[in-house]
Amino acid sequence: MAGYILKRLLSAIPVLFGISVIVFVIMAMIPGDPATAILGSYATPENVEKLNRDLGLDKPMVQRYFIWLGNMVQGDFGRSFSLNRDVLDEVLDRFGATLILAGTSFVLCSILGVAAGVVSAARQYGLADKAITFAVLLGISIPSFFLGMMMILIFAVKLRWFPVSGMWPIYGARDVPALISHLTLPALALAVVATGVIARLSRSAMLEVLRQDFIRTARAKGVPERAVIWRHALRAAMVSIIPVLGVQAGFVLSGAVYIEMVFQWPGVGRMLVDAILQRDILLVQGGVVFVAACYVLFNIAVDVAQSLLDPRIKT
Amino acid sequence: MMDFLRLLARNRLAFAGLIVMGVVVALAILTPILPLAPPDVTNTANRFQPVLSEGAWLGTDHLGRDLLSRLMWGTRLSVAVGFAAALIAATLGAGIGIVAGFYGGRTDNIIMRGIDMLMAFPYILLALAIVAALGPGLMNALIAVAAVNIPFFARNIRGITVGIAHKEFVDAARLSGMKDARIILSEVLPNVIPVIVIAMSTTVGWMILETAGLSFLGLGSQPPQADLGSMLGEARSALITNPHTSVVPGAMILVIVMAINLLGDGVRDALDPRLKSGALSRPMPATKVDRKTIPYQGDNTDDSLLNIRALETQFHVKNRVYRAVGGVDLRVAPGQCLGLIGESGSGKSVTALSVMGLVASPPGVITGGAAYYKGEDLIGAPYKTLRALRGDRISYIFQDPLATLHPLYTIGDQLAEAIRVHHPVSRGEARARAVDLLKSVRIPNAESRANSYPHELSGGMRQRVGIAMALANDPDVIIADEPTTALDVTVQAQILSLLNDLRRERGLAIIFITHDFGVVAQLCDHVAVMYAGRIVEHGPTNDILRAPAHPYTARLMACVPELGQGRRELAAIPGLPPMVDQLPAGCAFAPRCDMASAACKTGDIALGTTQTGRAVRCLTPHTTAPVEVEV
Repeated sequence: MAGYILKRLLSAIPVLFGISVIVFVIMAMIPGDPATAILGSYATPENVEKLNRDLGLDKPMVQRYFIWLGNMVQGDFGRSFSLNRDVLDEVLDRFGATLILAGTSFVLCSILGVAAGVVSAARQYGLADKAITFAVLLGISIPSFFLGMMMILIFAVKLRWFPVSGMWPIYGARDVPALISHLTLPALALAVVATGVIARLSRSAMLEVLRQDFIRTARAKGVPERAVIWRHALRAAMVSIIPVLGVQAGFVLSGAVYIEMVFQWPGVGRMLVDAILQRDILLVQGGVVFVAACYVLFNIAVDVAQSLLDPRIKT
Repeated sequence: MMDFLRLLARNRLAFAGLIVMGVVVALAILTPILPLAPPDVTNTANRFQPVLSEGAWLGTDHLGRDLLSRLMWGTRLSVAVGFAAALIAATLGAGIGIVAGFYGGRTDNIIMRGIDMLMAFPYILLALAIVAALGPGLMNALIAVAAVNIPFFARNIRGITVGIAHKEFVDAARLSGMKDARIILSEVLPNVIPVIVIAMSTTVGWMILETAGLSFLGLGSQPPQADLGSMLGEARSALITNPHTSVVPGAMILVIVMAINLLGDGVRDALDPRLKSGALSRPMPATKVDRKTIPYQGDNTDDSLLNIRALETQFHVKNRVYRAVGGVDLRVAPGQCLGLIGESGSGKSVTALSVMGLVASPPGVITGGAAYYKGEDLIGAPYKTLRALRGDRISYIFQDPLATLHPLYTIGDQLAEAIRVHHPVSRGEARARAVDLLKSVRIPNAESRANSYPHELSGGMRQRVGIAMALANDPDVIIADEPTTALDVTVQAQILSLLNDLRRERGLAIIFITHDFGVVAQLCDHVAVMYAGRIVEHGPTNDILRAPAHPYTARLMACVPELGQGRRELAAIPGLPPMVDQLPAGCAFAPRCDMASAACKTGDIALGTTQTGRAVRCLTPHTTAPVEVEV
């Protein structure tokens, strides 16, 4: 198993390399001169030239890429001019908040989605199936930012069950109960779309598995129907559900950008949007590379989980 | 095409989606000529008018602009941008996919590596990076959304193209000297367009949602121009005081995306052949029973353990009825082995599965008959009764144990489970018994083999595991469904002798399903021959092998090759078995029979007793001239 994990980690290196190239190329498409953008249109030509030299922008593209890559590998992501802070420090701070939000949502949508899919398949064409199918359709069609706003309106403003926004109370202790009450609405709003997608795919994966011969064998053995569904069928269906969970983690991470805006959550998504509006390119670049790299590592974890579940995968 | 539209119209939800989408698109097109207030003219004195106020049906926003007018113009913009993004992504993605799939090799490898890298990003990061580079704006948001969706199309279309690029008609075009570009345009493209359409119909909703999202973040359309996303974004600051300014654009996005999703699902379902055939139905825990008649058990004095009477099982698919089993009588006593023989599709397996309600349902329905186990009718018995007997008193051995064993549990666990669902024993005890069972079917190194997964065993080993599982609870009856078909001859012989020993030692009753007379001769004391869902001949094995009475039995036996009789011609039976959804009147074998007369094709023919213990369903059975078959 250790060998397999190592092999997967090694295979991530070219992917990470490719990601950095893509981000670098996109950022190189920026029209105009970054130095002018930073200094503003009143800058003197001498100052622009000096900054260009300081930033290394007078060197050829390929050389600039490797300097940038080398710095990143050593943990130097550059300095954000709008925050006057090291990019990596800022990204790490913000990523923690995003991880709490997206992680909670991911756990929620995995459990709820799979459970809904299994129930839906087990009661195919029954009332529960129809209700779940309709809820799923609604869930995958509603924009998460709109859902978040409506949740604020109902559960925070009208019913006053949860705070309106933010991650911590402005006054008062920063403890776990405070975090949970701030986390509930955004985590739910973020989980809805992915729950719908996972429920839908789990349902069809279950229906596919329930027609297999080994399910008939389980029944012929006299295994109670409940165990046939939850022990035999779900286990086999998980083989095709787990990769979907990996893909959905990316969607949850993406949706977090909107939810962080709606709920004023101090995460990396909001940081990126602000950075784009401020044209703080180094911060955008650093944030995107960092989060994408984390996502690649997460997908390796998904693959490892898959190999633990399915003995037919050679490790 | 007409079929496709008809299928789509039959799906009511998809049809509703189509209508809603049609209305939205029509309104979006007509917006410029509708009598609406100008969308961008501000009137701050008149701000935040509520819904249904004078002159503004949906009220006004924070700058006093008419919300209805802004909604219409915003919808027009959002739908246009969404479709444009989908079109761009589909065109570029399909282009890349076709090139990669058509040329293959290195080109394919390099392109797909790049696509994989793009897909390694959570999609919004890529979109944000592109918007960051190009600057905020609706056009740039459109480019970003289209760009992040290109990999999806490229990968899908490549897969389809790889399949097409090696088809004969493409080879033919190549040999005729056509240029690659022309082959792609005239041979490949027409075949991938339906796939592109499906992929577009399922993603255009996403694209509308994603562009609206970027606008919501302030990175898409810039004021005063507004799509639905930026309307929602601008309304956010007044969410608590004037929620209607948020609800109006938000609900509109919801309606549009939902309509597109319904339509997209409908398109996909209409084009997916699996859904058409109803193959994605979940089989119920027990076969559906809908009996018109329940036969009397008959004389209860005989010693039969399992007594199947006039069993009828059908498959109901759409409007068709397939009579897989049309009135079958069988019985086995303890220690007896009954062979059930016939061609594929003759209804042997369905007969066997019906006993315990294991026929997949839908589409299977048991429409008549009974199956008495120790006097208790199993057909229509409550699920609880069936479950308690399954695997405990009556167990099955299935064909192809790679598919019939659970791939993700060790065989030890699967055996232990078979015991534990019927007996309250501890995990360890069940485990020990599982190992004993593996030993009893002569699996070497049973202790360590118990930890193997099915895919780690050979075919013969797996079949033994299947037998061990059937024996787990010391059952009274075993129904073995072609357990040796997939095995080579030596393994087959071992397994048959194993079953034979168990029958003698434990007094098992066995129903052995096969299409192989050689196997029947080795193991069975009685044999029943099935054809088109009915028993055509029945009797002691030796008698039937010596002198088959039914022409079908005789022909079937003539198909078996024999050692040392090289001169004899193998006589294949001409024609094919009838389709069981359109059985002919009279004898089902008549169309393939040499001796058939007009009478054979008119009335129903009864299973008549000929000699002691023998029965045949034929008007002109062979009586005097036994076919020369040495067994």
